[in-house]
Order: sequence, then C-alpha cells, then structure tokens
Amino acid sequence: MNKTINQKAWLFVIPVFILVAFNAVVPLMTVVNYAFQETFGNNVFTWEGTRWFKQILRSERFHAALGRQFLFTGIILAIQIPLGIAIALTMPKKGIGVPVCLVLMSMPLLIPWNVVGAMWNIFALPEIGFLGHTLNDMGFDYNFTQQIGDAWFTTILMDVWHWTSLVVLLSYAGLRSIQPAYYQAAEIDGASRWAVFRHIELPKMKKVLTIAILLRFMDSFMIYTEPFVLTGGGPGNATAFLSIDLVKMALGQFDLGPAAAMSLIYFFIVLLVCWVFYNLMMRNEVQS
Amino acid sequence: MIIIPSDKVLLLASWDSVSESREKGFFDFEFITWMAWTWQTAAFFVFIALCITAMVFWEKRVPGGTPRRGVLGLDTTRGDRLFISLLSSAFIHLGWLGLIGPFLWIATIISVAFAVVVFRYF
Repeated sequence: MNKTINQKAWLFVIPVFILVAFNAVVPLMTVVNYAFQETFGNNVFTWEGTRWFKQILRSERFHAALGRQFLFTGIILAIQIPLGIAIALTMPKKGIGVPVCLVLMSMPLLIPWNVVGAMWNIFALPEIGFLGHTLNDMGFDYNFTQQIGDAWFTTILMDVWHWTSLVVLLSYAGLRSIQPAYYQAAEIDGASRWAVFRHIELPKMKKVLTIAILLRFMDSFMIYTEPFVLTGGGPGNATAFLSIDLVKMALGQFDLGPAAAMSLIYFFIVLLVCWVFYNLMMRNEVQS
Repeated sequence: MIIIPSDKVLLLASWDSVSESREKGFFDFEFITWMAWTWQTAAFFVFIALCITAMVFWEKRVPGGTPRRGVLGLDTTRGDRLFISLLSSAFIHLGWLGLIGPFLWIATIISVAFAVVVFRYF
C-alpha cells in the first residue's frame, strides 16, 4: 500500500514553534550565554570561560541544596504514589459518590501555589494556626519557623495535601479503563484481592503511573513557590531547595553567571532523571 | 563606597569603559545585547543545529532511523542516540570540570568517542 506523503501539515506547527522559540529557546540560549560570563548589569559582559561551572560543581552550598532536593522529592514520591493509588482503589465506582469524590479531589489542584503556601503558613503558625496551636496543645514542641524537622514536616505535609490528588485522579482514570472481563476472570480463578491488584490493576495502571511519577518528580524537583511562601527556605537554609537557592543567587546576590551555570546543571539533572526514568518504565513495552 | 569582592578586582578594568560608546562588533545588535552572545556560545548552538540538519540528510540518504534494540535493551532511533550522545557529553564535561578541572578538551575527546559508541551499539 502506498502512503501519500503530505508534509504541508508541518506549516501548522510554525505558530507553536515561534511561541516556543520566544518563551523557551531564546531564554535558554541566554542562560547558556550568561553561564560563561560575568556581568554587573548594564549589558556589559566579560568572558569567564568555565569558571562558574567549576565553582558551582565544587561548592558545598550547591551539594547541600541538591541533597535536600533529592531527599524532598524522594520522600514526597514515596508518600504520594502509594497513597494516591490506595485512595483511587477505595473511591466509589458508580453513583453520586463519583462526582462528589472527583470534585473534592480536584479542589487542592485548583488552588494557586502561592495561596497554598500562605494557607499552610497561617494554618501551621504555632501561636494562632489551627495545626500549630493544636499540636502545641497536644504537648508537641512544634514550631516550623525555628525547628528544622518541623519545617520539613510541614513542607512535606503541604505538598502531599496539594498534589496527592493528581496521582489519585490519574490512577482512578487508569482503573476505570480496565475491562470488567479481567475482574470476572480473576473471580472465576479465585484470585485474592492482592493478586487482582498485583497482576491486573497495577500492570493496567502502568502508563498513567509513569505519567504521574514523571509529573510529580518534575514538579517537586522544581518546587519553588510553596516552600518560598511557607518557610522562605528557612530556618537557616534547611528547606532551601534548588530553585530557592538558585533565585537567592540570581536575584538576591545578583550573581547571574554562577546562577546561569547552576540552572544549566539543574536542567541537565532533570533531563537525565526523566530520560532514565521514562526508559526504565517503557523498556519492556512492545513497540506498536 | 563600593565594596569589591577580591576575586572581582581584575574586572574593574571594564567598569571604566561602561559609559563610553563602544565600537560595534558583529554581534552588537541593540535589541539582543541582553542575550550576551559570544562567538563561543554561538558556535555551540550552530553545532547543535548542524547536528540536527546532518541527521535529516543522513536519514534522506540512508534511511534506517527506525528503532533497534541496543546493548542496554532500549529501543532507540537515530534521534534518540543523538540525544543520548549530547546529554552524556554534557555530563562528561561537567564531571571533568567538577572532578579534574584543566584540559577540558580531553573531556571533549571522550565525549566524541562515547558518541561513536552510542551510535554503533546503543
């Protein structure tokens, strides 16, 4: 069979291409340019070669921020993915409960990030906040503005509250697309609930879970607004994740060159992890 | 009083000439001076563009970009292998800068060698 070759469709891509060029390609090229130069503003630049890269790669500060970032992302993935799947499994499959659950689940996703940060900041304040005051009344010495452990606890709790719904909604969509015949066959075979989950539901959810983990990885790895509003990276630098540290360097200290080098390293790490992860998940997929 | 970090003293030379009008260089287009182009970074992007163009012509001349199973058990197309080569060369250079430092061109040679391996076996 002869396929007709029609390349004219590429013309329709041009508007998007121009848009992406201006909001992604040009800024990225600028970052590459800045990463090799020093500036004090006024569009005057001096060539520095690879100095900023060496400086960033060997700086304790960058290592610490990167470590905190991986720890944070690891913790929230370890909580959100199993929790999301568990909630999706217990959600009603028909009746009025379905829209009620879906709307309730979508609520946190609809709230702007800075509002989430402000909400949790007030919610967790040790003196007046509902969470903070209650915890202190119960005898816990809780103060997220001064104690590192409490700051981490609050940041993670906030992220779990904000984003677990995304995993739930994706998992739920994956679960709903499973044909009833699979469940009927499992029932005839006398499969246990665990076996049904392990051999039917989990494999069928693989694709949506890949998307869920990738989205949650990227979003949590690039998290900025919520911890910035909640803790401001503090106490000290305890919750200064990569993006917060990056903005401190770029705008706080006006070290544009080192900040550009750091953002490139940051970008490469995100690219690498996403690529490795995507390939691990898709390795055994049959090419269609 | 202006406080000058000790590692930036050398750059003061450029401060004296801030207000002076400079001679127009090839890349001094007013509207993109903020992009701070240098010939080195421009050459880098031209190289990337040339790579992609070369891939197009390669595929036209010798079609064979369909996925194949490589040593890692991954199905990769030619484009995937270019991506792997470029990304790994970024990490080879970063690793060299972070762990060793001087003679960065050795990292470039390693990257090219690794890219050849990637295109043959991955």
